[in-house]
Formats: sequence, C-alpha cells, structure tokens
Amino acid sequence: MKRIGIDVGGTFTDVVLIDDATGRVWSTKVPTTPRDRVVGALEGFRKILDVSQSHSGEIGFLGHGTTMATNMVVEGKGAPTALVTTRGFRDILELRRASRHDRADLYDLSFANPRPLVERRWRLEVTERLRFDGAVETPLDLGQVRDLAAQIAASDVEAVAVVFLHAHVNPAHERAAVEELRRLLPDRFVCASHEVNPEPMEYERASSTVINAMLGPVCGRYIRRLGGALEEHGFRGTLMFMQSNGGLAAPALVADRPLVLLESGPAGGVSAAIRTCERSEIPNAILGDMGGTTFDVSLIRDYRPEVRGKSLLHSYVVRSPTIDIDSVGAGGGSIAWIDAGGGLRIGPESAGADPGPACYGRGGTEPTVTDCNLVLGYVDAGSFLGGEFRLDEAAAHRAVEERLAKPLGLSVQDAAQAVRAIANALMAQAIRIMTVERGYDPREFSYICYGGAGPVHALDLAEAMGIGRVIIPPLPGLFSAFGMTVADQQYDYQASLERTLADLRDGAVAASFADLETLGTAEMRRAGLDPGAVRTVRRADCRYVGQPDVITVDLAEGPDDPRDAIGRAFEEAHLRLWNFTSPDKAIVIANVRIQLVAPTGWRGQAAPVAASAPAVAGRRRVRFAEGDADLDVFQRAAIPVGGRIQGPSVIEEPSTCIVLKASQTAVVDRNMNLVIELAA
Amino acid sequence: MTTDIVTYEIVRSSLYAIAREMKIAMMRTAGSPLMHASGDSSAAIFDADMQLVAQGNDIPTMMGSAVISTKVSVEAIGKSNLEPGDVIVSNDVYLGGGNHQPDVQFTRPVFVGSEIVAFVMTRGHWTDIGGQSPGSYTVSTWDVFAEGLRIPPVRLYRGDKPVRDVLEILSRNSRNADELLLDIQAQYAGTFVGDRRLVSLAEKYGVQALRSTMARSLDHSEKLIRQAILAIPDGEYEAEETLDPIEAPGWKGESPLLKVKVTVAGDGITFDYTGTGPQVRGGINCPLSVTCNSTWFTVKAITDVSIPINQGCYRPVTIVAPEGSVLNCQYPASVVSGNTETSPRVIDLLLKALSAAVPDRVVGQSNCCSGAGIFSGRETDAGRLRRTGREFVTMHDVHAGGMGARADKDGISGVRVYVGNAGSQPVELIEQGYPMMVEEWSLVPDTGGAGRFRGGLASRRTYRVGYDEATFTVSAERGRSAPQGQFGGLPGAPFACQVARPDGSVTPVAAKGGQTVVHRGDRVSIQPAGSGGYGDPLERPRAAVEADVLDGYVTAAAAARDHRWSDDGSPGGTAAGRELGARR
Repeated sequence: MKRIGIDVGGTFTDVVLIDDATGRVWSTKVPTTPRDRVVGALEGFRKILDVSQSHSGEIGFLGHGTTMATNMVVEGKGAPTALVTTRGFRDILELRRASRHDRADLYDLSFANPRPLVERRWRLEVTERLRFDGAVETPLDLGQVRDLAAQIAASDVEAVAVVFLHAHVNPAHERAAVEELRRLLPDRFVCASHEVNPEPMEYERASSTVINAMLGPVCGRYIRRLGGALEEHGFRGTLMFMQSNGGLAAPALVADRPLVLLESGPAGGVSAAIRTCERSEIPNAILGDMGGTTFDVSLIRDYRPEVRGKSLLHSYVVRSPTIDIDSVGAGGGSIAWIDAGGGLRIGPESAGADPGPACYGRGGTEPTVTDCNLVLGYVDAGSFLGGEFRLDEAAAHRAVEERLAKPLGLSVQDAAQAVRAIANALMAQAIRIMTVERGYDPREFSYICYGGAGPVHALDLAEAMGIGRVIIPPLPGLFSAFGMTVADQQYDYQASLERTLADLRDGAVAASFADLETLGTAEMRRAGLDPGAVRTVRRADCRYVGQPDVITVDLAEGPDDPRDAIGRAFEEAHLRLWNFTSPDKAIVIANVRIQLVAPTGWRGQAAPVAASAPAVAGRRRVRFAEGDADLDVFQRAAIPVGGRIQGPSVIEEPSTCIVLKASQTAVVDRNMNLVIELAA
Repeated sequence: MTTDIVTYEIVRSSLYAIAREMKIAMMRTAGSPLMHASGDSSAAIFDADMQLVAQGNDIPTMMGSAVISTKVSVEAIGKSNLEPGDVIVSNDVYLGGGNHQPDVQFTRPVFVGSEIVAFVMTRGHWTDIGGQSPGSYTVSTWDVFAEGLRIPPVRLYRGDKPVRDVLEILSRNSRNADELLLDIQAQYAGTFVGDRRLVSLAEKYGVQALRSTMARSLDHSEKLIRQAILAIPDGEYEAEETLDPIEAPGWKGESPLLKVKVTVAGDGITFDYTGTGPQVRGGINCPLSVTCNSTWFTVKAITDVSIPINQGCYRPVTIVAPEGSVLNCQYPASVVSGNTETSPRVIDLLLKALSAAVPDRVVGQSNCCSGAGIFSGRETDAGRLRRTGREFVTMHDVHAGGMGARADKDGISGVRVYVGNAGSQPVELIEQGYPMMVEEWSLVPDTGGAGRFRGGLASRRTYRVGYDEATFTVSAERGRSAPQGQFGGLPGAPFACQVARPDGSVTPVAAKGGQTVVHRGDRVSIQPAGSGGYGDPLERPRAAVEADVLDGYVTAAAAARDHRWSDDGSPGGTAAGRELGARR
C-alpha cells in the first residue's frame, strides 16, 4: 500500500508519499491556502500523486496535520460560542485568576488584555449547584436550560459549552443539560466540561471546554469537506488526523474533540522522531525543530515523548494531553537588532514569511538569523528550498552591514558571527529548560534536528550543550509530514481521583484504570481497531497534599494494585525535579490516565540511495569564527548507506544544509540518517 | 569585541532565565495556595555588592523592596561571615529592610571557590506568621508586634542543612505550620536552583565575565532610563490625596495626607514627599522600602517598560520622604497594608501628578487593594481532617477590582493592579480545601467609571461560611475615596463588603476595620473598588456604549446618565435597544 502524509503549515503545505512495498519516498511542497485550507491540501494530494506517478486508488492511508485550530484561537476566528455556567459564575472566563495574563509585563500600564473567548452577552447561567464532593446542593433547573436553548436557536451562535462547578466529580447535571441542548439544538455543536477535561479548577476547565466548542463547527466542517473531496478524487483509504499527543485519531473522534488538533503540526515531527529513535535504538533524544519564526524543543525519554496536561496558547489555558514543546523566538526569520543601550538582541520580532528575511528579496530590510547564515556561508544562495528561489546575498549583506555592523563598529562577518552565536545561545537556553529544569542531563541525550534551519545550527548547538551525537533524519524540512505516515493511533482517557494513597481502598486504582480501559476499548472497536493489538500505557498525576502542581508518572506493567509503585515513582520524580521529598506528607493521586496505542504507523525501511560513492559537487566559502575556508560540497542524495563525509565540508540537500568542521565526520546509517559523533 | 558582545548577551539573558527558573521551582513545590496557585512569591539575582541585576516577571511589590532588604540582610550577618550553603531568612521591616511582615525573604550567597560572586533571593508571602488575627492580615494593629513574628536576618540554613532551632521557632509561631514547612522548602529550593545555575554560568564563561556583565547590565539600564526621562518635559508636578482611615471601634480614624512634588530635570527625576502626614496607628504605614518601590514602579511604567529591569533603572531617581511620615514610618509603627493598599494609592497619586507631563501614559485611578479576605476556624469536614491532619484551617484569598482606563483603551476588569499580582483562588479548590462555599464570582455592572475609555469593573465574590465559627478579616483601600478618572473620565465605584446573617441582618464591613466573627450560614461578599475612566464620556463612540450595554458591563440607565445614550427599544432604535427589547 501507499501512504501519504499532509502537514498544512502556516505558509507551506508539506506532503510526502511512501510506498510500503519498495520503501521509496517522494515529497513535495505547495502553498497553504488560508482562506480555504482544503484547496491547498487537495493540491498537495494531486501533486504528490503526480510526482510519484501513483493513482488515488493505490493510497491506503492518509495522515493529516494542520495548524488550523491554533490559528483560529490566536486570531480569534472560532465559531460564535455561548457558555452556560452554574448561576453566579458566568464571568469565570473573563476573570481568569484575577492576575494579569502571562504575557503582560507587570510594569506596563497599557497592556492589552486578551479578548474573552465568549462575549459577555453569550455567557449564560442556569440554576444548579453541586458540592465539592459531588453531592447535589441545588438541583438542575431544566426549564431554564430549555429557555436558553430557545434563545440560542434564534441566534447565530454555532457552539455551546456547558461548564458547571464540580462536574469533574459528578457529571450528572452537565449530562442532563447537554442532552437537552443537543435535543433542542441538533445543528449546533454542544460539549460539556466533563467530556473535554474532567479535572478540577473551573477557569482552566472552562477555557479548555470553550476552546473545544469554538473549534467544533469549523473543524467539523473541514474534516467532512476534506474527507468528501478526497473521496471525489478517488481516495478510498483510511483518513486520520494528527493530535497534540503525537498520535493519530479517526476523523469522527477528532470532530467531537477538536481541542486535540492544537499542536497537530509539531506533534507530527515528534512522532517521526520517535520512529527514528526506535529504528536506531536511541532511547533518549532532544528534538530541535527550527523553522521561520521559532525554535521548538521537545524531549524523548525511553522512546516516549514528554507529555504535559496543561499549556498556554496565546495566553489561553488549554488542558489536553500535549507533547511538551518549548518555543523560543529564535527561528530563521527572527530579527537581530541593537537596543538603545548598544546591546545586540535577537527576536522576538520575526520577518515571518512575508516580507521574510532581507535575502528573500521581498522588501525585508531587517537582518535576520537566515541573512547572517547566508553571509557566513552556512546557507547557500542557489540551493535554498531546493533552489526554488535564489536568495539575494547582496540584500543580506546590506541589511547586516547597515543595521548591525556599522552601529557596532564591526565587520559584516563579525556581526553575522555574533548573531549566530547569540541565536545558538538562545536555543541552548531552550534546550536547557527542557532538560536541566526537568532534572535530566543533556549529555545523556542525542540531538535530533529538523525543520529547514535546524541542521544549520545543530552542530554548534550540540557542542555547546556537550551533546555527543547529532542525528539529521532524511527530509528534515518535511519531517512533520513524514510523521503523519509513521505515527500510531493514540487515544487518551483520564479520570479525576483526588484521593491520598492511604485513603484509597485496595483495588480502587486498578478499578479506575480498568474503567478507563473499558471505555477506551469500546471506542477503539467502534473505530474498527482490534483491541488485542492495542498497547495500554498507564499514568498517574500525583502531588503531595497541599501542593498545586502534579507530576505525571508512568507505570510499568505490573502488580494489580499499583499504589506502592505510584508512590515510589512520584517520590523519585519529585527528588529529581526539586531536590527533596516530604516523607511525612501524604501523596495524592489527582488523576489517572490511560493511553491506548494501536501500532498502525509505517515501520518499513526507507529504500537506500542507489549511489555508490559521494562525489564533490562544488565548492563553497564558509566563514568560521576562526577564519574563512573553501569547502567541498556534497549532495546528501548521493551519499550511500555507510558513506562517510569528513569535515571540513558541506552537505547540501533540498531543504537544508550542514557544515562540518575539520574534526567532524558524518556517516549515513542504515536508516538514511546523517549521524555526526562529536568528541566529548 | 565580537566575543564581548556575544558573552554579554548570553550571560545577561541567562541571568533573567535563572531568576524565572527560581520562581518556577518555588511555585511548583510550595504548600500554601497563596504561593503556588496565586503566585505570591518572587525571585531575583544580585551582584556581589547586593545590587539587583535580574528578576523574573514577578510581583513588583516584592522586587523594589528587595533592593533594600537584601543589602540589610547581608550586612546584618556580615558578608565575610557567610559560607557556601548558608541561607539568611528575614521579614522585619525595621531589622531587615522588609516591605511588610508576611513577606519573608531568603537570601543566599553564591560562591565560586571561596569568593562570593552573587546573591540570590526568594521571597514568599507566608499565610500566617502569628500576631493578632489569624492570617496575619488585619490593619487594626497597635504596633508591629501585633502583626506577627519579627524575624531579624538570621541563618535558616547552614551548609545546605536547615538550622533546626530556628526552624522550630518559625514554624511554632505560625497558625499554619503544616503548609509553612513546604513553603520554606520551596523558597529554599528556589535559592538552591539559582545557586547551581549561577555557578555553572560562572564556570562556563568565567567569574570575570559574570561580574562585568552584571556591571554593564546595570549601566545599560540606567542609560536607557535616563534617555527616557530626558524625553519627559522638565518641570515640577504636584499632587495630593487622602488615605482612607482605619475604622475600628474606639480608634481615632486618622486620614493621613499624601503629598508629592515631582521634579523632572534633564535625565534625572526627584520625588519629594515632604508635606505627607505623620505615621498613624494601624497597619497602613509604609516603610521607606515600600515608598521606594511605588516610586520606582511608576518611573518604569511611565518611561519604557521594555528596558531590562534592574537596579540601574533606579539610579536616576531621587526620593525624599520625611522620617516619621506615613511614607517613611519608624519603629514601632505597624505596616501590613502599607505594602498592598497604601502603595498602589501612592502610584495613583504619582500618576495624578504626572498626568500633566505624560498625559498619554497615565491611567484612571484603580482599585488599589489586595482585598485580602481571610477566614480562619476549626475544620468541620471529617474526611478532610483525616486526609490533611489540619484541625484549624485558614482560607486566604485576594480579590480583584478595576484597573483604570488608558489613553487609548478601556481599563481592565477584575484584575490585580500595579505592584500586586497574586491571583485569586479557584472556587473549586476553595470548596475542596476549606469549609466554605462560593456562591458568586462575577463582574459588577457600572463599577467602572465612564469616559471616552471606560474604567475596568470590580468583581464581587460572595462566600457562604461553612465553619461553625470563624474569624474574618479583610484589608482594602478606597472604601471612602472612589477611584477618580483622568481628563474628564468619571470615577469608579468604591470598595464594598458586607456580612448577611441568616436572620436577615446585614452588617457592612469597613475596608480597614477590625476582626469580625462569622458563623455557619453567614454570607460574606467582598467587592473591591472599580476604576476611573479616561476622557470625556460624551466622546465615547455610540457603538462602544451599546456593546457595553448589551454585554451588561454598563446598565442602560447609567449609559443614559453618563453618555446621554437613549433607546426605547422601538423598531427605529439601535441594534442594542432592539435586542434588549426582545429580551424583556
């Protein structure tokens, strides 16, 4: 069978096609069509069929990732949404926690407050109330729910989020309310907080539920239209969507829970990296994805991604299992500038894709990281993006000279060198946050880099962090799209427990896990999967009594009653993170979680390149800090498995390039990765 | 030269990253919701001469005063007496240069070899340090001793091991020993992380690079602030305001005058508080560290917030505050709400004075309070008692009012302002953790002053008491003086608090009163002040007025009064009117 991965990014839609039988891989890029993303995705589908000379009937599988959901939240373009809350609490969404939002400078009197996700006129209340233990204080007034339904029916509101206090403990009132709303408003998207995020803390739960609701109608339409259009083009295979947790899911499940699409794109890259780790037997890796505006870092430990339960998107809280990704504003397009005191700074302003860096020749005049790389020879003017458009070296030189070199009294090369060094340091800080702050030593990890600009900085960065091995996978510029074809299906379920280990009856934890498995297995069956082939990962969110934040611990397969194992794993993690434990404090299990994984992703071997020996394809001048050097340039596509390239030299490929120093050697391993071992 | 630029920027940005990381370490391990959920804590890095060189985006009230308290803490022990792994603890405003007694600072020297290269500090609000009322947050205190334990600078850790004797004294003087031990460990963890990171930074780039970066970073910020002050028109700008009095039975109820003359001359700026009234009985006085902090905050806010914040920003600022005045109080004046209530009032005073100099950078007056509401009594839930082992429980929450309108946009509703930023507690956590229910938390219409831009609204939280018997204290400002508008903007609503008993009686509670006793079934509502508008209300676009009416931020009656907005809901009326008519 043939598989396609389509990753719809902000600027480009990346597409790859893999032939299971031969292991051959094809790839292409088309522009994203923001007004109607289905158009661009279909264009990509047609183009990849063309390039690979396939026909749509041969495609057995299509994995799809999209930044659509993220853009909708950031740009405030979700569906008109109503929020229904417990009486007295309609404003929780606007009040948040009463402190200024995370991106406001506290000394700033003119900061802009994020727009509340629901206009106040559509924040509605009904009479009902539960106590903290789930007991009913005031019964739900269904008559009021019906009145609200009538009001909504007469409006342009397309989605309704229902959030009642303590619904994560007892969902009965929310269930009754959404049942009534769904009956009376069959054409609106209705969801309740216990369905989306059954966890305590009303603002966080409301925010997650409302975001799910405002995405619902638009994402649902997109999912149906894309499916329909693919079918019209003769596609008869399975369509799956990439979720924030790094796994794929069936369209029907994603349409109900579009919240899972928020980190869809970056998650694809992480999935691909996990497969890379498995094949090359690398249990621990730091992942660096450097694109146009940001550098994204994530972590794989023991072949699993680090996952977090809560993230901030444009200052809005989202609680949904998400691959833990940290971003810094140090992408290729990040602008370097001199502040009023004469300090050299990078970002957070980015030239983006339009006008883009000065060297794009589209009117950008500010020097960016990419401009500096071009000036130094780390990027080649003629082969950028596979040579699709030629970079303007003179423009890059001019921008660096006028904006940086002259004011600083440096040569253009020295100024560019300084920018590169500072960009590397910012990226190193992000890697440090990801590792050291979580109690891990980066030196025990390999570094896998991708994104167009990732490999350009990889070796310097690894050197600075004391990382011993750098791996550059095939197609680093299309790695996320590749991830859509190799990722497994993955479904997350969670339940709130909120009990101390000592308070839990024997078997209670095991019973909670079993309940979740029953629920999950039933959904898997409905999605047409064989539950026998599904692997279950069990996790628990724990904290000491009184602490705010949970630590999520993974549980190995093992004893029926996992309480002891959970306690030990929590204390180990607490010690690693914070350098102390509190043996006299009770440990609370806040939530139990399971993840069902169906290994449906492609696990074949990429077909090796037919080349016999790498040949020098040209020469390029690179300006190292130690001095200029004219280096041999090799085409990556011409290096066979086992081939070695000795530095100093340059390895060029369509989406990126790698500059090796004299002491460095790159080897192509049997999985077509470029592997560079660095001296300790 | 290249290396210089690069090393400088790397070390400089690392310092800020380390300060942030210290705060995260503290928040994630703290025991009391005030520190972890509300984030009432902060962290900073100082050079070897105790000058503040980097801080996170932390609660400003804790930062400015740390400039003074870190120096005092270190000097009290003697720099040469400090050893690796020592951590100094202190809270006292008179012995340790603190801002108010509940904020406890940990100060730690960072050694490379035998040399101190820096200091790191963490500061956290402890929910109870003893004193007159549970929660240590009532303003009807006779003197500083009534506000709780006075901790002079002493070592709480030596060689990274807690000094048990000191720890015992601290924890036995809190009604909340249980959470406090976690909070102490959390603050320690913050200093430990800061120490580790600074040492590895010094090892990588060299002690000399660390030292010169710190020095240059201070000079750099000073230079930027001077440039920004230079752009403010030279001149003298004056203002005065009156603080709300303490309203407790038998108290004199003094309303001290706050007075300032701001002189802008070239790239320097002087704040002279001469004429401010003498210190009063009750915890509304400011020690000098708090007055400095309010002043420094304002300078930063009206110049350029993007300037990296450190002590260099304060070098062009001269502060004159008469000793023994309410803005430079002397022993044994009590101070608890000087830090959270008087301090923002000082900022409103300064913005009033400076409105003539920088009209586009000032804002309508704001709610100016923490609105700290504290309930304390015996646990009533058997299950919870078994789980936590806490027989007496104290619920401490802050409350959110309005932030004044700006020159180009509306104010912000339900938010902590200026030097404070601790958040309020999630309703579900309150009910899960304490014998309390929250019956309402919502925005209150018409509490934001009208204007071309509207002031932010106040929020109101109403609790139903589940304790059999509990103490209740609240600390606020603007119970008497409503927040005024700027340039024709109207004032916002003042602070309001009341206890409604099951028998139908309703007792108002003053912003600065004493302790009230409440019982099961009593309903207590706390509503900080709203905020002032900016500009003439008649210049507000009709569409904005209508949207406010539709969203219920402003009632139709208030819109008619303040904006001459009229609509009878007739078919020829406006969209808002029609929609309102349809709903009626």
